[in-house]
Amino acid sequence: MPGCCIALRENVGSFCENWGEAGERRNFLASIAAGALFSVGWWCVIDAAARYPDHKDFNHAYHVCGVVATFAMLMVNTVSSGQVRGDLYTDGCIGPYGARIWLFLGLMLSFGSLIGACWILFGAYVINVSVDTHTWPGVAIFLQNLLIFFSSIVYKIGRTEESWN
Amino acid sequence: MAGLKALVALAFGATIGLTFLFLACALPQYANWWPFFVVVFYVLSPVPSLIARRVSEDSGGSNPCKEMAYFITTILVVSAFGLPIVLARAPIINPVIQVGPCCLVLAGNVVTFLTIWGFFIIADSDDVEYSMW
Repeated sequence: MPGCCIALRENVGSFCENWGEAGERRNFLASIAAGALFSVGWWCVIDAAARYPDHKDFNHAYHVCGVVATFAMLMVNTVSSGQVRGDLYTDGCIGPYGARIWLFLGLMLSFGSLIGACWILFGAYVINVSVDTHTWPGVAIFLQNLLIFFSSIVYKIGRTEESWN
Repeated sequence: MAGLKALVALAFGATIGLTFLFLACALPQYANWWPFFVVVFYVLSPVPSLIARRVSEDSGGSNPCKEMAYFITTILVVSAFGLPIVLARAPIINPVIQVGPCCLVLAGNVVTFLTIWGFFIIADSDDVEYSMW
């Protein structure tokens, strides 16, 4: 059994090449963490939607928030930091200013969906409660947006771009 | 023949994982085949990494493609855990599956994904004389 453990430790590096390098490991772990946060967020809201199919427990329009957050995550993470700083060899089609505006819009959508989720949680599930109000859909919407936001931030900031060839 | 021994162990692991899944689906007191859909996640989970290492042939250094692949793989792995939990919770009155099969599927998930991971490790290690990719 100890031999097996040693073999595992020697070979675990080969799953992610250059596991020893700090930048590599950091990018690997950041990608994993971002993926986990993202999917846990979506599964929260899938769970709420499956448990409360009724329109009056869980208004279907509330799903827009998560979709916008996902789209914003796509927007934020399609721009590399080098493009925003403008120190790449190519400018792309709209240059560093365009990249900054794109990133700005993406972050605006991110924060907007987070605020929208807060609004849904408090406006529909905390303040106007009656006896038969189920709060889990509101909490799920909020959790979804919070986790997607964190995932977006981790995927954007958690990775370094130095180790890219 | 360390590679052969590892392959035998991995095949055994995969069989154990699938046995858990079949138990969850086919035991007479459960007899409900909805959890079997996690097989889709099992099949899809290695695909992003395979595509990424095929596309980015010049390894040595991470790149956005590989990181995207890890991201999608993690989503698929978490989804395999999310599906049985949601099935066990989903209609509130009468859930699709009971807690027992849910736990069996989760155990099967752990075993199967460890197996898939182990397969990647031995496929990459240098002491395997036949290189698969």
